[in-house]
Amino acid sequence: MIKRVLIANRGEIALRIVRACRELGIESVAVYSDADANAPHVAAADRSVHIGPAPPLESYLSVERLISAARASGADAVHPGYGFLSQNPAFAAACEKAGLVFVGPPSTVLAQMGSKISARRLMEIAGVPIVPGETPRDQSDEGILQSIARVGLPVLVKASAGGGGKGMRRVDAHADMLSAVQAARREATAAFGDGALYVERAIPKPRHIEVQVFADNHGNVAHLFDRECSVQRRHQKVIEESPSPVANARLRSRMTEAAIRATRACGYRNAGTIEFLVDVSAGRGAERFYYLEMNTRLQVEHPVTEQVTGQDLVRTQLLVASNEPLPWTSGSLTQRGHVIEARVYAEDPARGFLPQAGRILLYREPRMPGIRVDSGIEEGSEVPLHYDPLLAKVIATSATRDDAIQRLMCALREFPILGVHTNIEFLLRILDHPRFRAGDIDTGFLDAEGAGLAASSPAELPGPVQAAVAAHESESREETRPSHPDPWESLRQWRA
Amino acid sequence: MARVTRLGPGVYRVNRSDEESGEHGRHDIVYVAGARGDTWAFWNGRVFRPAPPADQPARTRMPGAVQALTSPMPATVVKVLAVPGQAVRSGDTLVIVEAMKMELPVRAPSDAIVKAVHCRERDVVQADQTLIELE
Repeated sequence: MIKRVLIANRGEIALRIVRACRELGIESVAVYSDADANAPHVAAADRSVHIGPAPPLESYLSVERLISAARASGADAVHPGYGFLSQNPAFAAACEKAGLVFVGPPSTVLAQMGSKISARRLMEIAGVPIVPGETPRDQSDEGILQSIARVGLPVLVKASAGGGGKGMRRVDAHADMLSAVQAARREATAAFGDGALYVERAIPKPRHIEVQVFADNHGNVAHLFDRECSVQRRHQKVIEESPSPVANARLRSRMTEAAIRATRACGYRNAGTIEFLVDVSAGRGAERFYYLEMNTRLQVEHPVTEQVTGQDLVRTQLLVASNEPLPWTSGSLTQRGHVIEARVYAEDPARGFLPQAGRILLYREPRMPGIRVDSGIEEGSEVPLHYDPLLAKVIATSATRDDAIQRLMCALREFPILGVHTNIEFLLRILDHPRFRAGDIDTGFLDAEGAGLAASSPAELPGPVQAAVAAHESESREETRPSHPDPWESLRQWRA
Repeated sequence: MARVTRLGPGVYRVNRSDEESGEHGRHDIVYVAGARGDTWAFWNGRVFRPAPPADQPARTRMPGAVQALTSPMPATVVKVLAVPGQAVRSGDTLVIVEAMKMELPVRAPSDAIVKAVHCRERDVVQADQTLIELE
């Protein structure tokens, strides 16, 4: 069994991992940049190591500093969380070389699946359907433009090293091709240090449905069903749920079987996710699905699966990394009820979803049955501008989809976060939208409806707000009044 | 008439009493935080800024007037696409800045001539720092 885990991450996921470690009696080591010295994940862990200045390249993205932090703290394992270096083969290899257990797949698997180009090839061989497209051997602007012409508009230009929509551009018109290719390459180079691109045909109105998989070191591979993540803004997921409202038993079993084939084909270990694009335009029973990519790590939305299956994925990750067999098989699990997660981001929907940084003046989590909040902040926290703007995830579990939606809306209405703008009102409008209610969503839903959903509140304050603000302001005036009145202050009052 | 009771730090119960009896009237919980002039309030899933910082002077464009385009937030300049003297069209992207792993284009609000460029690629810029002047 591993004994001490260095958590190479921050925010809510670092806290989540600390808690799983504690339950298993494993010590946790947090790392932090200058911007995070007082962050909750540091306070929660058993030990902590400072790893550098705020910019991620010099801290959370520095392989060298993380490995030496692991050595200095006597850790025997490293959990990468999601984002940052979680899918970086060089980091996993550096852990392996330093004799540290990497809580994830082997570095060779990360490299193979991380190159979307080589993953596509592998999936094709394993008989997993892939989106029609091609990988230009000639990676110049001209070479990629020719590929686009052969695949046929509309297309998606994607980064081989990409994920989460970074280094990806949709092209609908010839006029935009060149600028899209250059922007995708620039973003890919900046984000991943690798500008290689490929071209895929854009599937009309696709739904994003993914399958959670797990593999241990003893040849066992299991799936934990589907999650639907079609509510996305600029390819960033906003709301996730399980079971998918469109997946019937037949589609679910076809997809989970393909996901297991994909997992076996790449010699996978630990937790992973196979993402599929699903074309439902041909109607029920005639759905087609295509491998999109494999996320070779824990997902942001893993709580959805935890709630619907009753299994603890992070705990299982630590067990599998300790060479234990999987505690369950695919057949022994069920999806119980319905689970929906909303991601609360520090961003201002009324101003083009600009990421927000600043101090959290007030923060109160909703407390009610069937609600789980995974959060990385507390009252008084600073939200730094250097990192992902995800603040918290609110996960509602109930018997039916309608009930889960209702429960999630109640929780969000009782989740005050003040000091930075958040997307809570935007989330409420999505959950209340007739198309969302009907389960009639595709990955273009927010692009089509988002502008109306993002409108700001009216400037005029509702009565109760006016009254409470007036009380608050008179109270803070009293607090700031000096106990020994300044003579000039008295004079001014006298004059008045 | 409303009666306000402070329940705890930043938490207020507001009794709306249209009738004379406030005791049985409907009440609301409102959360308020921040100093005067920079107050934030939360009610029923919505955030209000009762006294937002005074808006920046309206950037109305007089013919020949100089207009400053600023960074919307603290960010890194990833690409400068404008050069002084260039004629630009409304909506043209002039600078791309990046923050929190997101690229944000700074676009021309109207047809104009680039008067000056005040940033270079890889510069770290502050919120509201002038990046481009148009005229």
